[in-house]
Amino acid sequence: MALSCLTRALRSLTLSQPALLSSQTPVVQLKLGTLVASTVSQCRGFLTTASLKHNRAYLKQLDKYTIRPIGIKKSGGRDHTGKIRTRGIGGGHKQKHRWVDFQRLRYEPNKEGQPFEEKVVEVRYDPCRSADIALLAGGNRKRWIVATEKMQAGDIIKTSGVIGRMAVSANEGDAYPLGALPVGTLVNNLEIQPGRGSKYIRAAGTSGVLLRKVNGTAIVQLPSKQQVQVLETCIVTVGRVSNIDHNKRIIGKAGRNRWLGIRPSSGLWKRKGGWAGRKIKPLPPMKSYVNLPSISAN
Amino acid sequence: MLPEATRYLKATVSLFSPNVFLNASKLSAHGAPSSLQTRRNLRVSHCFAARVPPQKKPREKVEIPGLEMVTYGDRMHYVPGLAKPVYPPWEMSFKDPRYYRSPPAQEMALYKDKPCYVFNQRTSILEGVRQAAWLTKTHVRPGLLPHLVSLAAKPENQLPDQDEHVQNAIKHSRFWDTTEPRPRKEKYSNTLLLNLLHLCATLQPTHPAVGRRILAENYSLAATWKRGEDLFQIRGRNGLLHCSMDPLPRICGEQEVLETSDQVLESFYPVSPTIDLQQVSVYKEEMNCTGFRGEYPYPHAHTLYFLETSDPNCQLRPEQFRAKMIMFTFGNALARAHKLYGTQPQSLLERPITVQAVGTNGRIFQFLVFQLNTTDLSGDDGIKNQAWLDEDVELYDFAKVRPFIKRKEVKVPAGLAGYKPETFSKFLALYLHGAA
Repeated sequence: MALSCLTRALRSLTLSQPALLSSQTPVVQLKLGTLVASTVSQCRGFLTTASLKHNRAYLKQLDKYTIRPIGIKKSGGRDHTGKIRTRGIGGGHKQKHRWVDFQRLRYEPNKEGQPFEEKVVEVRYDPCRSADIALLAGGNRKRWIVATEKMQAGDIIKTSGVIGRMAVSANEGDAYPLGALPVGTLVNNLEIQPGRGSKYIRAAGTSGVLLRKVNGTAIVQLPSKQQVQVLETCIVTVGRVSNIDHNKRIIGKAGRNRWLGIRPSSGLWKRKGGWAGRKIKPLPPMKSYVNLPSISAN
Repeated sequence: MLPEATRYLKATVSLFSPNVFLNASKLSAHGAPSSLQTRRNLRVSHCFAARVPPQKKPREKVEIPGLEMVTYGDRMHYVPGLAKPVYPPWEMSFKDPRYYRSPPAQEMALYKDKPCYVFNQRTSILEGVRQAAWLTKTHVRPGLLPHLVSLAAKPENQLPDQDEHVQNAIKHSRFWDTTEPRPRKEKYSNTLLLNLLHLCATLQPTHPAVGRRILAENYSLAATWKRGEDLFQIRGRNGLLHCSMDPLPRICGEQEVLETSDQVLESFYPVSPTIDLQQVSVYKEEMNCTGFRGEYPYPHAHTLYFLETSDPNCQLRPEQFRAKMIMFTFGNALARAHKLYGTQPQSLLERPITVQAVGTNGRIFQFLVFQLNTTDLSGDDGIKNQAWLDEDVELYDFAKVRPFIKRKEVKVPAGLAGYKPETFSKFLALYLHGAA
């Protein structure tokens, strides 16, 4: 069927009007045109494209989760028009994308609602992020998650969505809602809206602190000391993210930066403006991701 | 190619209206076809780059029931303002096998609500031998039984100049079998296996029962069984099969068979035993096939030979390779049992079915002897099947084409090094089991 589409389209191109001299009369053209028009079939346009396999946009369109690494194409900082939108990106070692499941509380199709356990099969390096990733196997499925500091192959990790009356003494690597954890625990992979997947505190060695729990919401301090108020049903993982010495590493040479895909910045000296230099300012106000009816009356 | 292409394909109808041609001023100097307003519908996508333009959402089409849309279908050409006509999908009036689209799974005749878990030759299960043992309700013991191994120690069961012949076989497969510097792994492992089988077959004059066997390749195995509430199937082609006219004798006495009912199968919570198995909703129940039709003169499976595949998608680690051996040996035994005793589960077979298996990667061998005692696999208790697994038996240490030199010292010389004769005697013992 693809071949017939292609041949039909190519036929419509080849049967188009041949090169005519300007001296020819429009009448002749009319005759030729009508002759040709009757024989050429209507054909919808076809796309000449390379395989979409290694396309960064392809990653966003996949719907079935897989643990197999997916090839990605480097963008070089270029956007869809082909111009550089972000400077300093390009080259570097080839990387394969491992699809990490950030929604930790994802039940299997037939086992909704119950806390479940999973086993860590292996913890490995991920080229696409600073933290390590861990392969979890539980029930009938396997998935990648961001590994925590002391996770090792063979551990059993618990995930629960239940908020009990008493706070749970959580082990590192387990995932609980914020309302179930004691105040002061180090947490990572924070969801700001329940069920949307974790967006914060995912980098290597980072951790947030659960500061207090206020009727139905919880306040967490992010690694930047910014405080955030979220619903207490948001799931977090307990512990620090793996690869804690990531910020202490020394690049050592320009070549290592190039292996990471970082191109050199322009060497031109430019006068720095008001944005540069150390700034000492008070913490921004607490950001709330909770729609509390009493506050939003204004 | 087609699904991606159709996702991006926008149906634009090219215009071939004769009114356009009257306009002479449209002529360009060289009279190119573009002057006559032929619109080419070629579009090169941006997929050569890593980022694509953001997708524009098409306008939402609102369906109001009862409201008839005025379409330009009657006028046979596009009219701006009228709706696009929607036609029923065209189907051929006759059946053409070249253009057949299979219906979705729910509409297939063999569709069932309950899924079946299928193990095929490319499956690599996470927990390896433990999971295979749970699925087949088997008690796996390390090491082969001594009376089997002593079978090859008897002088009448040995080849004359056995070591020399085996070493020649290894050298042939690893060094001499190619015009390239070194033969590839799948080639040399295959040649080595065939050479060893040939050597064992030279004992036919002294052991006439060897002549009542034949090798078969690429046969399709199918076996179905129930475990708990789930249905399991083994399907696929595992490789080389040595089949014979006579069944193998039982290895284990009745007393030990009854003792297996006291042993507990290993569980590996939280991983489910069905992990990594292919889930299918369209399957045939009670699919049991030994791979051969009814009148095949060599119906009893004697030994299965497994080689490592060269397919990069299913590279099996040693643990998973042994698990595959166990599963296919069990499948052969179960298919035979279903044929002899029927598909009703039986808690104790009066004649247990024994099947052997040998797996190799060209240097390291895995030997397996499996005895099927029961076809009642639904519960976890009761009599279990037995398997004796000899793991990672090396035939030789190194077979280097060029010597391995480190810091100007020859660590491993070229040629065959570290030959172990016991491995071939085990191989021969498994071959002669049932014949001598």
